[in-house]
Amino acid sequence: MNILVIIPAYNEEKSIGSVIESVKSRHPEIDIVVVNDGSKDGTSAAARASGKAHVVDLPVNLGIGGAVQTGYLFAYRNGYDIAIQIDADGQHDPAELNKIIASIANGEADCCVGSRFVQKTSYRSSLSRRLGIQFFTWLIHLTVGKRITDPTSGFRAVNRKIIEVFANYYPDDYPEVEAVVLLERMGFRVKEASVQMHSRTAGKSSITPFKSLYYMVKVSLAVLMTRIRNVG
Amino acid sequence: MNIYLLSTVFCLAFVGFTIELIRRQKIAERYALLWLVLGFVMLLFSLFPNLLIRLSEAVHIFYAPSLLFLIGLLFSLVFIMHLTMVISKLHRKVTRLTQEVALLQAKRPEEDGARGYSSDRTG
Repeated sequence: MNILVIIPAYNEEKSIGSVIESVKSRHPEIDIVVVNDGSKDGTSAAARASGKAHVVDLPVNLGIGGAVQTGYLFAYRNGYDIAIQIDADGQHDPAELNKIIASIANGEADCCVGSRFVQKTSYRSSLSRRLGIQFFTWLIHLTVGKRITDPTSGFRAVNRKIIEVFANYYPDDYPEVEAVVLLERMGFRVKEASVQMHSRTAGKSSITPFKSLYYMVKVSLAVLMTRIRNVG
Repeated sequence: MNIYLLSTVFCLAFVGFTIELIRRQKIAERYALLWLVLGFVMLLFSLFPNLLIRLSEAVHIFYAPSLLFLIGLLFSLVFIMHLTMVISKLHRKVTRLTQEVALLQAKRPEEDGARGYSSDRTG
């Protein structure tokens, strides 16, 4: 089974090398594609220097949605059976990869989201972030009747069918929540697996308070639109 | 010189300017159509002021020129919405183009026979 790890990276030169390294050291059989989203630092060079990943350099910054979709296009065109998204900042632990691959590999689910909240884990975050995540959990429950405990998690695995769907359409700005709703609406089986997540090792989060508000409103609109749009 | 003559001249100039821009391919025909429509509607009202007054009465507007403002405002909204649609479409196309270019770039060294990872490549 061909498995690809997609790592969208924007200005992550400090952490990208160790993320690639930690995936490869545990899973030498898994391929990696780093999508460098027009970084202004040495992200691309750092990723290439590892010698263990395909590096795709976007000539201009597309944002997380466009970058991740590039990874899915790569996966689709190169015939991968499973694609897994991992953040470049080291928040996602490659030791947990098997947990989210398992249910895809044995056909139980089409998409598996790594969740911090299925079981109690050591992950702690700010109150506002937890409230935001709970809001999206509620919104998804409202729109597709399904409880996803960690809808903003970017740690997820999908099968070939979904790789094709995402290669054709992937949401823009803050795509995680909308993608889950889209998949549910199209009749795919979305599951969650409990994973540990770390705090960032280097760099800084692109989310500011103002952006969070914009994020909430924009994603809510997108989710509601997905609900009334004909999909699939 | 009264206002009707002035606005007629202005409308003619506006339509002429739009046509000139189309001729020079500064604006594409499909986006120019709306502008031409506006120019001709305004020209019509300038040439036949009674038209505006009768139209206003028909829709119960007491002050005829306010119908003019209404038309102008509605047109502006339609045009801005139209532009937003065009930009959204362009955005999608640019995204896909960027992705295709990046994937092509990434693929090139393998076709040259250098199998596997492209860590030795510069730029």
